[in-house]
Amino acid sequence: MTVEPYVVSNGAVVVLLAGAVFLGRAVRRNRLWREAAASLWRRRRLALCVIAVYATIALLDSIAWKGGVPAEAVGVLPGAPHSVIDRLFLDSAEASYSAPFADVEFYGGKPLRHPGGHPLGTDIIGRDVLHLALKGARVALLIGGVTSLIAIPLALLFGVGAGYFGGRFDDFVFFLISTLASMPGLLLLIALVMAMGRGTLSVCVALGVTSWVGFCRLSRAETLKLRELDYVQSARVLGVSEPGIIVRHILPNLVHLIVITFVLMFSGLVLSEAVLAWLGIGVDGSWGQMIDGARNELSREPIVWWNIAAAGAALFTLILSVNAVGDAVRDVLDPRTRGEGA
Amino acid sequence: MVIRGIFCRLLAAGFAVVAGCSNDPYPAADEQAKILYGAFSDAPKSLDPATAYSVREHQITGPVYDTLLEYHFLKRPLELIPGIAEALPEVTDLGGGRSRYRFSLRRDLLFHDDDCFELGAPGRRTREIVTDDIAFELQRIADPRVGSPVIEPFAHVEGFQAFGARLSARREADPAFAALPVHEQYRAVGPIEGIRTPSSHVLEIVLAEPYPQILYWFAMEFSAPVPWEAIAWYDGEAGRPRFDDHPVGSGPFELATYDKQAKFVLERSKNWYGVRHPEWRAPGAVYPSEGEPADRAAGLLESAGRSLPLLERVEVRREKESIPLFTKFLQGYYDSSGIAPENFDSVIQNGSLTPEMEARGIALAKDVAPTIFYLGFNMNDPVVGHGRTPAERARNRTLRQAMSLAIDSDEFLRIFLNGRGLPAQSPIPPNIYGYDPGYRNPYRQPDLERAKALLVDAGYPGGIDPKTGEALRITFDSYNTTTQGLIQHQFYTSAWKKLGLDVRIEASTYNQFQDKLRNGAHQVFEFGWGADYPDPENFLFLFWSKMKNSDFGGPNYANFSDPQFDRLFLAMKTEPNGPDRERMIREMTALLERERPWIEIFFREDYTLRHAWISNVKPSGLSIPTYQYIDIDPALRARLRTKWNEPIVWPLYVLVAAAVAIVVPGIRTYLRERQ
Amino acid sequence: MGAYILRRLAYGIAVVMGVLFLLFVLFFAVTNPDDIARKALGDKVPPSVIEVWKANHGYDRPLWPWQDWRENLLFDHYRRMLGFDFGLSDADDSPILERIRSGIGPSLSLTVPLLVLSLLASIPLSLVVAFFRETYIDRMGVLLCVLAMSVSMLLYIIGAQFLVGKVLRWFPISGYDSDPLLLPRFLAMPLLVGVVSGIGSEVRFYRTAFIEESTRDFVRTARAKGASEARIMTRHVLRNALIPILTQVVMSIPFLFMGSILLESFFGIPGLGGITFDAIQANDFSTLRTMVFIGSLLFVLGQILTDLSYGLVDPRVRFER
Repeated sequence: MTVEPYVVSNGAVVVLLAGAVFLGRAVRRNRLWREAAASLWRRRRLALCVIAVYATIALLDSIAWKGGVPAEAVGVLPGAPHSVIDRLFLDSAEASYSAPFADVEFYGGKPLRHPGGHPLGTDIIGRDVLHLALKGARVALLIGGVTSLIAIPLALLFGVGAGYFGGRFDDFVFFLISTLASMPGLLLLIALVMAMGRGTLSVCVALGVTSWVGFCRLSRAETLKLRELDYVQSARVLGVSEPGIIVRHILPNLVHLIVITFVLMFSGLVLSEAVLAWLGIGVDGSWGQMIDGARNELSREPIVWWNIAAAGAALFTLILSVNAVGDAVRDVLDPRTRGEGA
Repeated sequence: MVIRGIFCRLLAAGFAVVAGCSNDPYPAADEQAKILYGAFSDAPKSLDPATAYSVREHQITGPVYDTLLEYHFLKRPLELIPGIAEALPEVTDLGGGRSRYRFSLRRDLLFHDDDCFELGAPGRRTREIVTDDIAFELQRIADPRVGSPVIEPFAHVEGFQAFGARLSARREADPAFAALPVHEQYRAVGPIEGIRTPSSHVLEIVLAEPYPQILYWFAMEFSAPVPWEAIAWYDGEAGRPRFDDHPVGSGPFELATYDKQAKFVLERSKNWYGVRHPEWRAPGAVYPSEGEPADRAAGLLESAGRSLPLLERVEVRREKESIPLFTKFLQGYYDSSGIAPENFDSVIQNGSLTPEMEARGIALAKDVAPTIFYLGFNMNDPVVGHGRTPAERARNRTLRQAMSLAIDSDEFLRIFLNGRGLPAQSPIPPNIYGYDPGYRNPYRQPDLERAKALLVDAGYPGGIDPKTGEALRITFDSYNTTTQGLIQHQFYTSAWKKLGLDVRIEASTYNQFQDKLRNGAHQVFEFGWGADYPDPENFLFLFWSKMKNSDFGGPNYANFSDPQFDRLFLAMKTEPNGPDRERMIREMTALLERERPWIEIFFREDYTLRHAWISNVKPSGLSIPTYQYIDIDPALRARLRTKWNEPIVWPLYVLVAAAVAIVVPGIRTYLRERQ
Repeated sequence: MGAYILRRLAYGIAVVMGVLFLLFVLFFAVTNPDDIARKALGDKVPPSVIEVWKANHGYDRPLWPWQDWRENLLFDHYRRMLGFDFGLSDADDSPILERIRSGIGPSLSLTVPLLVLSLLASIPLSLVVAFFRETYIDRMGVLLCVLAMSVSMLLYIIGAQFLVGKVLRWFPISGYDSDPLLLPRFLAMPLLVGVVSGIGSEVRFYRTAFIEESTRDFVRTARAKGASEARIMTRHVLRNALIPILTQVVMSIPFLFMGSILLESFFGIPGLGGITFDAIQANDFSTLRTMVFIGSLLFVLGQILTDLSYGLVDPRVRFER
């Protein structure tokens, strides 16, 4: 008995929400983190709100169930699972292009099935562009999120391990890092996707493999420094086990680095996917794919602009917000810049 | 101050670039020459005439290699005329199904000048073509090591495959033999039994079984004369290029520049018989004076009687993207162009050119190509294929019929190709013998209600598979991973969705797709087939059980097999055109109509635009070389190009003003702070 | 010193060996030579031809040494790559080395001016922004940088081709010609796009470097002595910040040879980036793995040279990480 993807997705939403609540409480309990969060909120209110909206859309698009499809809905499988977002657009199929809020088809002028019902128009096979653009949010967050979930633990495992234990293991990790870092990033990415085949997971794994190196190096260097600190040394003298030291003394001091890396990596990952989409090895339903599919439509007469504009604007807004927040996060959390500039 | 200085210098540099800017991609010196400018999208693989088998390669091998026979430039349906042969071959029936074709080659034909001929005699640049050169090329096709894709059609020649087998056996047994130059190897194992050269200008081909289509293969580059010197010399060793990249032919054009990633240049050959002996008035070297009735009005007969070729040079550049290509065409930098779907509405309205295009002197040619696009079912599959029991057979057939009824070719053409194409009713395209313009395939007239009713008959009411209680799941395998390809496939799946069928697209890379084909792991797929030659056999053999991809690696990707179809096919193959052949084709079409191994989607209609300065262009649908017929008026071209490409400069001034508007307050702030 | 050089070289060689092993796993063990052959030969070809093709391309042997000690693809892969015998392209049988040689010129003619122009544009701009730090110019500058960074490169290219090429007709919309009279007009647009798309992150990076530098003690001293702010920026801050900038530039030199995949393929420049793009499109694995190998090799060489030059300049620097 295989578990259907939508069940997994629903489960992931529950886990994510629980994680968010847990994180929120953790941040609230720690004074430093609470102040950092408050400072972040003061500086980047708008950007944080935008990200929250994207996250909400992505979550709503991840909660799906079967049934409840009206019989007259055309172009959807009644028995298949549909997400909350999908359900807002259940019966929205047209035959082909229509402009935003139009009443007739773009070419030929046949009346639409849903006059005025597409705020961002429809694409070449009549799908609602707003629907596609909203669905892209989930894909983007999935790419950034899953990749980070792969890359950050991997980097921590190797980086902290190498930094803490040193010796042979450190030599091995350092060799691995040098090897991966010396391969041209985009080419390695492409080679990995081509070797593993298309699909969301393989794109995420490939992005993860190519993006963990930098953070691994960073966490290794940081661990090297932390290991020599007095309280870590004294913990060792007191006989605290090594995993205990790593969990209790090293990792907490790396959390700010993890947060900074995560935010800064995120936008790069989503933009990389756009390039992969152009090479034909992207993730289905991403904004990159929408842009690539629509780029030639600018040459149509009259111009079909809403498709590329919707995807481009959605991508741009998310990246802009994440970049803006990333800057602020670094200012707030990085000890080198903390206290300066604010 | 330093900052301002750098900025000023940058600005000055920007001005210099823009002031000298022009979008003319060609050197000014070429403006008055008779040069044809064209474009290609994908780099050619091999220019070896024995292996080159795609349009992008024939674009070069066609004009460079001359063939015994050619197609008439203007007449339709296509008609064979002699090329480097004196006349069409004499055919003698030898009895027992055997037949002999006797060609006589023209005298005093020369290969293009090339270094490789020094192998025969020092200082020699070229030599006369003899029939042994053609026999040599046919031996190369038979040679398994060359890897020619057309062994199968030539296998009708007596002793063709035996030659290959002899060669392989000798090579395996004797390494010293395998190291010899190939022409010596061929000589040592003896000629192909059915290919004889009684004199240096006579070539006889003996077929072991009837195959009248063989003549078409003598109008293709596969059977062009190839000098043994070229094969021996161009081996990729010691800095010499490989024969794949360095053709040595005898056609109207020579390959002067070949950078396969970027451009190639063909130049008129002084060695071509049409240039050396215009007095022969050979049919292949003189512009024809008769054609179809409409040709005179289209101006296609104005060059009648002129000696070919009319062009000095052909320059073809790589354009990977359709939009830059079309933009450059509109700017006058390419002489002719197809129309990308995105550009269609700016150029064509109601089936003809927009007034704006007509005012520019652009002309439009339409032609339905003998190319079919279809959706195939894997007939080995338990759900959509032949099925094992009679009940399964009936159920699966009804399912295929229902799926066929759901696909609206007209809608597909309208959405993706601006209506350029003909909804296909059967596998046989227009301009091919056996095409019936009045035929309407009942399963290709889209009808959702009837499709739903058929699904009930098949036991899938509302698309629900009774075994699982959910929508019947079918995979649509695709090797097109581009976003545009994906959207087209979503058109099909959403049509089937309307029946309640859950068809999912599995896009994979081409090799993964081929893997699926080989393992029979595919269910529904999209494919296209373009004609090699204008005969229905070239389309109907795609259903012949001997061409099954799963068993024989042939192009019958649907793995269709039906004894009755096979019987009809073999009879039709050798039957001359006439009522009997027509009846057989009708019976085969009816069989395919019922069995539905394919959902025929459409025949492509090519729209070609060309500028006022280019004349003598007539599409044929096949990849036949026609550069030698085309003519150019360079003076008109130069005038129009200048007129169309005035740059628009005012935004530059706006940019400069904006820059000043940003910089000046900055400087003011700076000055204020200093005080 | 000699021992250090030797150790550094040995480590570089080890890294290159590691890269080659990774490439082998990806391109031989994960993707099967049979698939590569079928993709290369197309759909009209009988299986016997595929066997011939595999033999011609040297794919007809077992993968691992434990299958056949003498004749295996792993050793063959190392031998050929290290001997710069890259063999034939999987897609169209052309010699890869030849093609790479022909692609270096066009790539460099794009990437070298691109590097120079980017530096010429971003260093003065970031100086200006750093000079006016904490004013509206700084805030606007940073905002513009983040805006510029947030636009996908694809959109820049599409926009430039549409506006500058099609509507304004300033430059050819795409193409390449090595003729020095024609070259500038082909390069103008890719250079424009390259500079504009990169300027955001560069200005931001250099601004941080300048500001960090301007908080140093010697800058404070100079300021206290009454030197003008402009003089401080150009004399003290720029000069000292040049060291990290130059290091970065030196490190990026090896990658100039690799070209730019996006710019070259959109603008039809037949450089190494365009070749890589074609290789991806055609599943040309042999070309792709050669490109990865060459990229890594250049990177490792560049790193060794940088390290050695540090070692020469500063005798305290030893083989450290």
